[in-house]
Amino acid sequence: MKPALLDVEDLTVVYDGDDDSRVDLVAGISFILRAGETLGLVGESGSGKSLTALAMMDLLGPNLAAGGTITLDGRELGGLSSRQRRRLCGTELAMVFQDPMTALNPVYNIGDQIAEVLLTHRLVSRGQARARAIDLLRQVGIPDPAQRVDAYPHQLSGGMRQRVVIAIALAGDPSILIADEPTTALDVTVQAQILELLRSLRDQRGMGTILISHDLGAVAEIATHVMVMYAGQVVEHAPAASLFREPQHPYTIGLLGSLPKLGVRERRLTTIGGRVPLPGTVKSGCRFADRCPWVLETCRREAPPLLQAAADHRAACFRVPLPTADGLGGRA
Amino acid sequence: MAVAAKQVTTGPKSKRRRARGQIATIAAATVIGVITFAAIFAPQLAPYDPYQVDLPSALQEPSWEHWLGTDTQGRDLLSRIMYGTRLTLLTSLTALLIGSVFGALLGLVAVFFPASDGPIGRLLDILLSFPAVLFGLALGASLGPGLLPVTIALAIATIPEVGRITRAAALVVARQEYMQSGKAIGLSRATLFFKYLAWNCVPTVFVFLTLRFGFIVLLGAGLNFLGLGAAPPTAELGVLAAEGRNVLAFAPHVATYPSLAIFLLVLSLNVLGDALRDKLDKRLL
Repeated sequence: MKPALLDVEDLTVVYDGDDDSRVDLVAGISFILRAGETLGLVGESGSGKSLTALAMMDLLGPNLAAGGTITLDGRELGGLSSRQRRRLCGTELAMVFQDPMTALNPVYNIGDQIAEVLLTHRLVSRGQARARAIDLLRQVGIPDPAQRVDAYPHQLSGGMRQRVVIAIALAGDPSILIADEPTTALDVTVQAQILELLRSLRDQRGMGTILISHDLGAVAEIATHVMVMYAGQVVEHAPAASLFREPQHPYTIGLLGSLPKLGVRERRLTTIGGRVPLPGTVKSGCRFADRCPWVLETCRREAPPLLQAAADHRAACFRVPLPTADGLGGRA
Repeated sequence: MAVAAKQVTTGPKSKRRRARGQIATIAAATVIGVITFAAIFAPQLAPYDPYQVDLPSALQEPSWEHWLGTDTQGRDLLSRIMYGTRLTLLTSLTALLIGSVFGALLGLVAVFFPASDGPIGRLLDILLSFPAVLFGLALGASLGPGLLPVTIALAIATIPEVGRITRAAALVVARQEYMQSGKAIGLSRATLFFKYLAWNCVPTVFVFLTLRFGFIVLLGAGLNFLGLGAAPPTAELGVLAAEGRNVLAFAPHVATYPSLAIFLLVLSLNVLGDALRDKLDKRLL
């Protein structure tokens, strides 16, 4: 097995308000990412997916503090200064953001924006920057890159812009690419193209990728491992095939069950009743207890640890491991 | 996308209004064009030396010889207005540029370094609470009359409002995803500050400055009219209006024409600024 590229241990994000209020937004995230793997980070809005990514990039906003250890290629990031962390951004870790409409600087053409990254990290000389930018645009599948390099963001479609954003992220030749909902703002056919692009780039470059999404279909498409987050915690972490075949956590089961099925006429789409608790409101017990159809007495008293369901497959639920065979798995 | 949205909201009524607006804009642009041209090429175009005293022909009504007449000392009013506009525009522009550079920097720094937001906000509040006329009075008293104190007063009057507008614009820009993604690719702070934050604030600030320009011209002419700036022989619009005031009863043209020049200049600048705002900055509508 390949060595770990990124090793995240017990990552937390805490809101530390001006008025001494402290709220845990993300708690106890641990995972290992190897070269060529894709980790899908799944959860609904507010579950802490993006905060996890921003914490890894050291881009948390004011009043937010990250804890835990992040080891990148054997180097512990916590010991680095913010200047050193910034130097890693783009060259080791890169991030693609959700909305390609606003992720590009509108006042510069795309060639200049790619060149800016290259020159910032001193990867090429000024003279070579343009040729390298064209090359990168070609790699992300932009037709006629020699012409498009002079285009401004507003002259490109959403899908094209997302390709440019990816080209910019790749300019520093990062070993890890974090894509935060890269397809959410795009229409369905373009989504598939972008996912395909991310997959082929990962395979060509042997990058580790983290795909953040609430779209299980997108995650199923390219992820090798999946981590399901709920209310700031990991509730299930497993290889993709295992997770989709035998979901263990009631939340994962509910998520998969609420996907509309092709060819089945449903009067109403299945939903998970209730809503996500606000951060800091669940004092004890499992954070999913109030919405869980199989809630037990113990769930309200103590929080379930991540329990082993199979090799590599862990879920934070007292019922784990579920009895195999169909039974409950059939619900998904 | 913006084009499509415009078509949806444009009914027949607003179309007529826009056509009217366009005529006003073209008229304003023409007036400014003519005035600026006359001001820039005053040495070549002016029919007389604006300082050439010719007492026998003092206070003449407008004639073919002197298109706008002559003043109390027989100097050609048209030439004096051309030179005066030149000086007025020059001081206003200088003040506007200096003031807006300082103001914009303060606004941008306040957003880029959140810790500085409070102190800069208070500084701008303090500057805002001083009337510019008062500032001009104080400066004129300490530096003596002249164009320098007026320019400084105008520049300082420009700083707080430009600072606030820039801060507001920068707050919007700072929330855009490209600021975040710029950080995520490891761009330097200088790049983020100038190329990302500052450049994207330019349209908003520029529109505000064009709207502000008219006000600064008016304020500058006002300070000079009050005698806080340029001294009487100087050809400056405010000074010319002040000179004409003494003979208003029997030679009204001496005060009227410089005032008319100020009026046309300020009105056209405002109309043009409005048009530019409609064109460039949808958020201020």
